Amino acid sequence: MRADALNGQLDVLILATLADEAGHGYVILQRLRQRSSGAFDLAEGTLYPALHRLERDGLLSSSWSVQSGRRRRVYEITRAGRAALSTRRQDWTQFATAVEAVLG
Amino acid sequence: MSWLDRLARELAARGLTGGDRRRIILELDDHIACEPGVEARLGDPVELAATFADELATSTARRSAYVVFAALVTAAVALIVPQLAPGTASNIFPGFTSGLSLWLFFPALLGMYVAPQVALVAGTLAAWRAVRHRRDLVRPAAELALVRRRAWIALGAGLATVAGIELYVLDFVAVLPAWWLVLTGGLGAVAACALLFAGKELASAGELRSGTTGPAGDVFDDLPIIHYSWLRRHPWALGALGSMLVGLAMTLFMAHAERSVTEGLQRGVFEALAAAVGFVLLGRKIGVPGSPRLAIQSGAGLARIPAERLAGDEDRSRVEQVLREGFGQGRLTLEQLTARLEVAHGARTIGELRQTLKGLPPDER
Repeated sequence: MRADALNGQLDVLILATLADEAGHGYVILQRLRQRSSGAFDLAEGTLYPALHRLERDGLLSSSWSVQSGRRRRVYEITRAGRAALSTRRQDWTQFATAVEAVLG
Repeated sequence: MSWLDRLARELAARGLTGGDRRRIILELDDHIACEPGVEARLGDPVELAATFADELATSTARRSAYVVFAALVTAAVALIVPQLAPGTASNIFPGFTSGLSLWLFFPALLGMYVAPQVALVAGTLAAWRAVRHRRDLVRPAAELALVRRRAWIALGAGLATVAGIELYVLDFVAVLPAWWLVLTGGLGAVAACALLFAGKELASAGELRSGTTGPAGDVFDDLPIIHYSWLRRHPWALGALGSMLVGLAMTLFMAHAERSVTEGLQRGVFEALAAAVGFVLLGRKIGVPGSPRLAIQSGAGLARIPAERLAGDEDRSRVEQVLREGFGQGRLTLEQLTARLEVAHGARTIGELRQTLKGLPPDER
């Protein structure tokens, strides 16, 4: 699947990958790839502007931590982030159901 | 040069420095360390830096407009609350000769009566533009510059207001009750701190260079009610009408408050003149096209600049305004306007920009 298909959905996917467990950029990408069975092929760098934006909007929070001798920025979903995730999930389900119904 | 070095250089070129840049570099350094050879999948560092800068520039410009507006609210409190405090209605205006010096009194008056209007107009326009596009990730650089310019003007006017308040306190320090002086001076000081903080935010927002081209938009875009009206084609009339309305409102208000028509008229005329002067001096800067400065500045400006000089966003938006005026006056067709705007937005040099003005009367460029 091309990266365009992700357009506008990257934010909600990031939130979903962080819903159960915090993680840093590389881990988030791995989770995305695993859960989608590698269907999304995006320029990996674009993840970071999205992370920063979500943090500015208060949907994520982040802090430095030291893991295996490296400083890495670990992201965590906030309460507002969870609320946004559940709204977006509902929207998506509605949308997908409607599309499926039409496509048959 | 490694991928990371190129990213670092691009970020710096776009004004992303200090902590923000360090954090991005550290995160991507970590990303690369997790999987050697991943650089090929990271994407173009130039594009990535552009995305970071454009999004950050947009959100900080928006945020600083809000912060300035909030700071202006504290200044409004410092201006209004002391005048409403119980039992002060009659005795906080002791008459202008009873103060320490007229050199304090008149600047105080200017600060307390003229500056707040400028702050109100510019601050509201800045915040309003930010609110209108609050969901957009990226806005054109020219628009961000307009928002910041409005915010700077509002901030300056806010500081002038606070300065006026403090001068008033100083002027009547021997005449007015101590509690009133402390209250007013204190509120003014709080507002000054808020404004200075807002100034710091605004200054750091200005360092980012967003690369997105596009129109800055003007006050007609901000106020949909007047967008399609007759005023759009006669922008100067907006200033005149606005000034008259302000004057009329003040005349009625003061005539009622002071129970004297002459008193009301005096204040009203003063107010209208002040608004007109503000429009002439600051109109173009806050996005009122066709205000007198536009003709003067853009006219002399572009003609004198060498054709090969690189064009900036301000030049582009100035030309856009002239083109829109040309359309408004019926000189350009809609197709011509659209085509020329497209060229103007993509213009790299002043020469290319000047080309788009071909055929329009020389006094307007």
